[in-house]
Amino acid sequence: MTELKPSTKNKWWKHPDVKKTFIFWLIFTPAIGIFGTQFHVLSMPDPASEVMGGVIGLMRLFTWAAAPVAALVFAICATALTSSRHYGDNPPADADHQISNSPRANATWIVVSAMLCLFALVTGLVVLQKEGDALHEENAIHVNVTGQQWAWNYDYADGARSEVLYLPVDVPVVFHITSKDVKHSFWIVEMGIKMDANPGYTTETAVTPNKIGVFNVRCAELCGLLHAYMQNKVHVVSKADYEKWLADRSALEARS
Amino acid sequence: MTTTMNHPAAAAGKSRTPIIERLNIVTAFALGAISAFVVWRLALQFLPADSEVRLFTREDKITLLSMIAWFVGFMTGIGALVAPFRWVMGKDLSHDENMFLAGKDMGIKRYFRYTTDHKVVGIQYLIITMVIFGIGGILAMLIRANLGTPEGGLIHPQAYNSIVGTHGIIMIVGTIIMVTGPIGNFIMPIMIGARDMAFPRLNALSFWLIVAAAIPLIWAQFIGGISTGWSAYNPLAGQAPLGMNGYIMFICIFALSTMVAGANITTTVVRMRAKGMTWNRTPIFIYGVVASVALALPAFPVFFLSQVMSGMDRALDTSFYNTAGGGSGWLYENLFWIMGHPEVYVILIPAVAALMEMAPVFTRRPLFSFNVAVMGIAGISGLSILVWAHHMYISGWAPLLNAPFMLTTELISIPTGMLFLVLVGTLWRGRLWMTMPTLSIFALLWNFMIGGITGIYLSDVPADAFLHGSMYVTAHFHYTLMGAGLTGALASLVYWFPKMTGRMFDKKLSWISFWMVQIGFNVTFGGMFIVGLQGQPRRVEAYAALFNRGNLITSIGAAVIMSGMLVLLYGVISSWRHGVVAPMNPWHAKTLEWTVANPIPLENFAVLPVVTSDPYGYGKEKK
Repeated sequence: MTELKPSTKNKWWKHPDVKKTFIFWLIFTPAIGIFGTQFHVLSMPDPASEVMGGVIGLMRLFTWAAAPVAALVFAICATALTSSRHYGDNPPADADHQISNSPRANATWIVVSAMLCLFALVTGLVVLQKEGDALHEENAIHVNVTGQQWAWNYDYADGARSEVLYLPVDVPVVFHITSKDVKHSFWIVEMGIKMDANPGYTTETAVTPNKIGVFNVRCAELCGLLHAYMQNKVHVVSKADYEKWLADRSALEARS
Repeated sequence: MTTTMNHPAAAAGKSRTPIIERLNIVTAFALGAISAFVVWRLALQFLPADSEVRLFTREDKITLLSMIAWFVGFMTGIGALVAPFRWVMGKDLSHDENMFLAGKDMGIKRYFRYTTDHKVVGIQYLIITMVIFGIGGILAMLIRANLGTPEGGLIHPQAYNSIVGTHGIIMIVGTIIMVTGPIGNFIMPIMIGARDMAFPRLNALSFWLIVAAAIPLIWAQFIGGISTGWSAYNPLAGQAPLGMNGYIMFICIFALSTMVAGANITTTVVRMRAKGMTWNRTPIFIYGVVASVALALPAFPVFFLSQVMSGMDRALDTSFYNTAGGGSGWLYENLFWIMGHPEVYVILIPAVAALMEMAPVFTRRPLFSFNVAVMGIAGISGLSILVWAHHMYISGWAPLLNAPFMLTTELISIPTGMLFLVLVGTLWRGRLWMTMPTLSIFALLWNFMIGGITGIYLSDVPADAFLHGSMYVTAHFHYTLMGAGLTGALASLVYWFPKMTGRMFDKKLSWISFWMVQIGFNVTFGGMFIVGLQGQPRRVEAYAALFNRGNLITSIGAAVIMSGMLVLLYGVISSWRHGVVAPMNPWHAKTLEWTVANPIPLENFAVLPVVTSDPYGYGKEKK
């Protein structure tokens, strides 16, 4: 990639600028890759579902795929900055004998970016397909999620209702999401799923929590005055605890 | 209120000064205010009360009618209707009147009139852009102040939401006009060797429409504000207080301005290029400006319509966006983003093209692969109208369309990559002349690279399901619109400052402000990336303690940006007033705008130039 930049007649790769760029590129690529992945992975919450694990994996993969390209751009910048600088109120002499076009460099650049683009697309589609299938999981439990200014309500299949979400670990869940007033967005942060709650429509998303713990639900769409406070906890518990909680809740609901 | 001001029509009877010479910004504001007041009073008196219980309908009607009256009154008062009125009467303006409108021998006063000279319009745009950035910047600092602690609470949530929305929309408007307004109007006609724009009166119209639009937006702040974010999604906007009407009017008038400017600039470039300026010899900046305004031509009518429907939902109880009445909020989202995505390239393309224009000048070598640059600009423009629903991946509107929209979105990285290729190709083995615009080329490559790569994460549907609606998105688009767009605009200001003002921009100040803005910028939005990844939603006025550190970094960075921008403002004022007088061609560039003398004569060229070579012939090309 680097080597094709200047197309002079003979042994262009021996030009000092090419060598310099190549060395910069060798240094920058791992630097960007490591910094980029660490920046993202260290900031993102620990995954509480396979979906979130997948998102983190995607970020890591895309960062490494982008690193050589970014490194090349920055390497050329660094080469230019270290090769010829002129300060002053008058311009330096024109840079003579410069190429103003290089079909070979253009073609390489376009083909490589098209391939990277295709790679990103295919990777995305594979994960997308998997998530689409999750909606049709047969042994899934179903939860109706209703957003309203500024709280979430959860209705379980057997009549239990709650303002706090309880989920069993390792059991697929399908959420049916709607809203009573304006648009909200149902986001379980650590599970990497998000779906808008639209008034008058029901939207769906699915996830399988794979870790016991307490996680965050936040509204991700500006929904008025107290949007910032429209957040809550998700309790992911063992299957037995979940059954117990559900029975309590259903009984409570039956009494009232 | 300026109700004591003379009514221009009444005054015209007493004096023999023709109306056309009496109209200026004062009569415009006076007539606008009077009309708004009269219509408001009449509406209050005669509009029947609502039969059904609905919170706002009658008040909405009154507000919208008063704002429309303001708009009509202001445009009449500034003189926008003089020429059309004459034309309807079967006459046209005389030569003297046209010269008067062009601001001949008028000095400073022409900046406060309906002046048709493109250079006056350019300066007017420059000033209004700076005012917009000043207000938007202050609002940004208010946001950061409120986010100084996790609890927020410095500003009432309603006011906070309104500040966020107002900051968003005026910065969008400011960035849309920041290059095509000042530079596109002032420099572009000279650059193509024309004496003025194709439609000088439309040029004045496009500027004064923005001034007319500003008032409803300010008005809105006093009647409940814009508490919906800049996107004003329905049904939230339907539920929002009366201030939404100000937003609706603002967008409608601004969309008109953009359409008028788009038609004008496109026609000018297609029809009025100097003899010999074939498409191969047309500077790349011209392509950028045309692509930008041509992209706005299909986008902004949609925005206009979306707001008309929004206003009708509020004032006339229609149900375009109301599910209960058979409409859909998704309709609004679609219309909004059909405008909204081309719009980001409306902002970005001219700024990048301006830096591509400067790259050969400051590397003293030809632009690398002119054709690829044109292909890149055309490719981005074409694709950008097909990507809007990537803002709606998780809206639930059409999950099956997520894959195709992911495809179109990721395809955009190919033409965008071409712009990178052109810039690095031009830097390759150039002789760098270190100036603030030169540094800006590197800053653009850096910021745009980060903005572009994070854009690829966001274009990926599964990753977007995590990132959408978080601060990560906010950081991403600031990297593209501000990190790339504003960087290009500031470089343009410094680069063309000598031609626009006749004086050089103070070098030291331009460097200091460059480093402060760029470092502050990367700190600010680096911190914002962190809190976004940690899971902080956008547009919140309080946050969990977990996000404390990232927000602190962001607030510190924002203060640095603000200081850098103040240095720049000082630089603009001091250089404009007593900077070094600029030679005709301080950068030794080869485009036509540098061939006219300072100050530029009214019609630019005594003899229209003929172009015989391409504008980037620095040095000798290797065969």
